[in-house]
Amino acid sequence: MENGRRDVVLEVRDVTMKFNKYEVGVNSLKELVVRAFKKNLKKKKFECLKGVSFDVHRGEAVALIGKNGAGKSTLLKIVSGILKPTTGYARRYGRITPLLKLGAGFDGNATGLENIYLNAAILGYTKKETDEKLNDIIEFSELGDFIYSPIKTYSSGMLARLGFSIAVSMESEILLIDEILAVGDIAFNKKCHAKLAELQQKGLTFLIVSHGEAVKRYCKRAIWIDGGLVREDGDITTVFKHYTDAMMAKKPQPAPAPKAGVEQLIAKK
Amino acid sequence: MTKKRNNLGQRMYLLQLLVRRNIKNQYYRSFIGVLWTVLNPLLNMIVMAFVFSAIFGRHTDGLDYPIYILSGNIIFGIMRGSTSSSLGCLVGQRDMLQKTKVPIEIFPAANVFSALVTFGFSFIALLLVAGFRALPIFGGPYFVFPWQIVLVLLILPAVTIFSLGISYFLSALFVFFRDIKHIYSVVLTLWTYLTPLFYSVEALGSATVTKAMMFNPMFHYVEGFRELLRGDIPNLMFSFSSTEPSILLMYIFAAASLIIGWAFLEACKNKIAAYL
Repeated sequence: MENGRRDVVLEVRDVTMKFNKYEVGVNSLKELVVRAFKKNLKKKKFECLKGVSFDVHRGEAVALIGKNGAGKSTLLKIVSGILKPTTGYARRYGRITPLLKLGAGFDGNATGLENIYLNAAILGYTKKETDEKLNDIIEFSELGDFIYSPIKTYSSGMLARLGFSIAVSMESEILLIDEILAVGDIAFNKKCHAKLAELQQKGLTFLIVSHGEAVKRYCKRAIWIDGGLVREDGDITTVFKHYTDAMMAKKPQPAPAPKAGVEQLIAKK
Repeated sequence: MTKKRNNLGQRMYLLQLLVRRNIKNQYYRSFIGVLWTVLNPLLNMIVMAFVFSAIFGRHTDGLDYPIYILSGNIIFGIMRGSTSSSLGCLVGQRDMLQKTKVPIEIFPAANVFSALVTFGFSFIALLLVAGFRALPIFGGPYFVFPWQIVLVLLILPAVTIFSLGISYFLSALFVFFRDIKHIYSVVLTLWTYLTPLFYSVEALGSATVTKAMMFNPMFHYVEGFRELLRGDIPNLMFSFSSTEPSILLMYIFAAASLIIGWAFLEACKNKIAAYL
């Protein structure tokens, strides 16, 4: 880490991602054999990301915007290390919590308390670290005595609250958020936003995927991903304006941004 | 350096939690809970012993037939349990694999260790039966406790590693080909019959079968365990003319399985996360 780039916490360089996609989903051996015989096995490579580069500095909050299928979520997965890019690299300097789905890996039969430990372990924390934060998590989730009940008895709002509480209470340096800011009822939602603002004060780095304008309250910078490329990177108000204009204008594409394979695939159907 | 170690410790902790979850869920909601792990092999053994003892009972090379059956089944059960539960484990953890950074290898490993825990309980059942058969009742004692029984700790790592390799391989393959579930259940049934669990190789009286048995890894684990129960120690080395289980072969099979399984999982790791 002591290489002179101390304030860069996320370094994304020339990331490309290619997927091998069968035209028709082949997910059984039988289908593969039958199709191989019929010579019907068309593979389609599509490039989801075509050379994306950007840096995120410590304490910065960056919004990733772009239309559905532009590659935002894939990019987030690459940044968090879940997927490896085909070429290029994404480096992280600091502890990262991917908040792509709240409560991923929750076990319905276990109690809320047990799930806190399980979920925290999945996010990469040790028992000791979880012990230290346990009270914060329970308190923040407002679940009270429900914490001792199996979570299959929880409502979906309660589940989201628990998942969110775990993710934001654990000590992390970089938070990746994928459109999950609508958690619980209005009161809890407000609390979540307050918590995120507090974390931002503490110097956490955010990378948020969003469609809405709500991110403006955290982010000063936005990166617009279009067709697997960075279309624009800069001040959030400007980028959002261009983005909205482009979305409203629909068909006529001003910039010669090449269309991604995804869109072509969708267009074909 | 310390970071690496912390990381490993953290993974071990996660593995432990997952194993605990597996065990809990397996017997969740059943009335006597984890006691089933002891009862299940016991009841199975009673049925099998009742059905087969007249046919195969005299060919067990001096080992009491109920113990013969039970010992074979519980060793085989480690492999059976871990591989069949691992088959769908990556697909079942779709959310976790797509949305979090958990190392993929941990899920098959958790299943294998759960199977090992189940073995621990089944082993208690075996000790109970052995204790019962060692009593001087009904014309007994039919069994004497040998000290060699503790050497099971020598065989267990080999079976575990062997099962882990297969589990890695199958869990990754299942992501791409969902129908191997049906194929594998047939393979598993076949394997059950090709391994001397309720019959003995000698009873078949065929030199070819005896020779071919040497290529069945499960034969070595199962028969090796039984030799301990007879008060013998399995051969360390092996020769091509031998028809006995060998400890070296146990570990060779285990290593081969792990290398293949691991390599396959590593090779399609990135595809799995994308494909799920």
